[in-house]
Amino acid sequence: MLEFFQMIVSALAVGSSYALMALAMVIIYKTSEVVNFAQGEMALASAYFTFMLLEIYGFSFISAFILAFVFSLILGAVLEFAVLRRAKEPNLLGLIIITIGMEFIILGLVSWKFGADQQVFPFPIGPYDSIEIAGTFISNLELLSFAIAILVMGVLFVFYRFSKMGMAMKATQQNPIAARIMGIRTKRIMMLTWGISAMVGCVAALLTAPILLEPFMMWGPMLKGFSAAVLGGMTSLPGAVAGAYILAIVENLFGGYISIEFKAVVAFAMIVLVLWFKPSGLFARHYVKKV
Amino acid sequence: MKTRLVVILSAIIAVMICFTGSAFAEEGVTGTEIHIGSFGPQTGPAAPWGAVARGSDAYFKMINDEGGIHGRKIVYHHFDDGYNPAKTKAGVKQLQESDHSIFGWVGGVGSAPGMAIKDYLMDRKVIWVGPSAGSFAWIDPPQKYLFPTYPLYIVEAKALVKYAIETMGKKRIAIVYQNDEYGKNGLAGAKAQLAKYGMKLAVAIPSNLSETDFKPHVSKLIKSKADTVLLWVAPGASARTIGTAYAMKFKPQWMATSTVSDYPFMYKITRGLWAGVITAGFNEPLDADVPILNKYRKVFAKYATKGERWGTFFVAGFGFAEPLVEAMKRAGRDLTRERVVTELENMRNFQGSQGKVSFKPFDPNDIYSRQGQQSIVIFQCLKDGKTKKLADWVAPGFDPKELMH
Repeated sequence: MLEFFQMIVSALAVGSSYALMALAMVIIYKTSEVVNFAQGEMALASAYFTFMLLEIYGFSFISAFILAFVFSLILGAVLEFAVLRRAKEPNLLGLIIITIGMEFIILGLVSWKFGADQQVFPFPIGPYDSIEIAGTFISNLELLSFAIAILVMGVLFVFYRFSKMGMAMKATQQNPIAARIMGIRTKRIMMLTWGISAMVGCVAALLTAPILLEPFMMWGPMLKGFSAAVLGGMTSLPGAVAGAYILAIVENLFGGYISIEFKAVVAFAMIVLVLWFKPSGLFARHYVKKV
Repeated sequence: MKTRLVVILSAIIAVMICFTGSAFAEEGVTGTEIHIGSFGPQTGPAAPWGAVARGSDAYFKMINDEGGIHGRKIVYHHFDDGYNPAKTKAGVKQLQESDHSIFGWVGGVGSAPGMAIKDYLMDRKVIWVGPSAGSFAWIDPPQKYLFPTYPLYIVEAKALVKYAIETMGKKRIAIVYQNDEYGKNGLAGAKAQLAKYGMKLAVAIPSNLSETDFKPHVSKLIKSKADTVLLWVAPGASARTIGTAYAMKFKPQWMATSTVSDYPFMYKITRGLWAGVITAGFNEPLDADVPILNKYRKVFAKYATKGERWGTFFVAGFGFAEPLVEAMKRAGRDLTRERVVTELENMRNFQGSQGKVSFKPFDPNDIYSRQGQQSIVIFQCLKDGKTKKLADWVAPGFDPKELMH
């Protein structure tokens, strides 16, 4: 029984990084229906930027983290403005492929600038310090990640539900032409969407980096985040977070009780099952676009 | 008109054939150049091992500075395959079938990437010396043109298990292994040695190369009550496993392969948790005051790019290339692959920067006709990433029949 609890706790811990990446992907998808495969690498760039500020320029944690958020906001906006928007006669598939290209370019740039070796990322709390609750262990970093994932979800939920900007973003997705007629500057909204999404990704990367900072580190969370987002229906923020934790729990139980060897493919098997039985995802309201 | 064209074309072809005949004695060799190839991950989760290819680069520059090999300079080609066998194969084929072609291959990181090109190179009778992995697959069965010098992972695992049980008195050995050729070699070696004591692994846990969450693995280790855990995974995965175990208050004796014997690096990325870990090693400690390492240190200072470290894998890049260069020197000016094979086969107790290297005339039934190095050192990591030698050049011996168990 203790083993079972430990598995659930471990799942909640690892699920937080999936959840944050899922949120980041859903934000962009909600507005543009583009699946952004560069999400992980955009987050990675922000983490290395922070690393540079902390290690090379000796910034304090607070200022480095604030600058990292500003950097990621600008990075997301610039990529949308300078790369995606330039696509001639864009269709969805084309845009998605552009994001895959961006992913490789950013990964290459980061590896070239900082090298491929793992680095130690300074962080206010030790990544391996942990607390024990009734025989199960959870690290302080994982607790922090869990709290932050829930917080970010809450803030985004409120933002979309109650703020004018959030409403404008929703409108842009549902009907860009009507949105523009109503006076919404849809292009600016898109840019901002990418910026906000990159910031959420940045949070995920800053919580992943303290274990090991390496160019490859966001690849796993991004793919798992994407799976979680699909599970949750791609457009639902709480759905993405729930999807992330469900995915993590299933993965951990599968790894613990059935086969650790095939744990890595559980996420993708789940996507296939969801697409089979409930293509709109577990949590999204089924929404058919009118022709 | 048509006949004239045919005549001209035939003449051109005839001239080309004549020139190629005289200028290229052997594929990848010209009057002034020898083309040598290599591959290794410069990106991706196995990237720290990619320093091998850069080390060989510095080594060949040193050889060229010393006048090259019988008047020829080494032209070294290496590429980033990201530890992805599909990319390895594409890159090797591209270089091998390019205009300059490749005379021989040296190093090349990883069992799985190497497996992808082994048959291709052997079918073309291209020499390959010192693959940077201690895989049993190189010599199972032995190949005429393949000369591995990296001690077998099986031998490393056997030596570590032997040390744990006979010297340290450990009782329950477990292993976390990368779920591929590399990891399975470690698993096979550990099982074979334990069988000698009538023992079995407490638990054997596979892990995928891109895995980042090791809590499930550590939970299984805790459940197995292992007192010693062998790690046969990549540097990042090793660090994560030890870190996760520390967070879960599980503190066995960790033992690992030579692939994570770069102590200053491992100590740094584990934030000090690497202290106490015991590993196999294939060269003297990097801070040792021996002439050959002192010489290489100067080469490192001259040629290494900014940010490069004097690390185990960078230096291994020298070591894996030494036997090929030595054999090419012995082969003389008339350089052919067959001559180099003969010189390699005549090599006995060649001492470079690693253990002594010996080959024998090709015998498809004798793995040691091609496995050049058989002994390892056992190190322990101390505080600040310093090295303590626990056992000097041990050779636990290995007979392929042991794998039958």
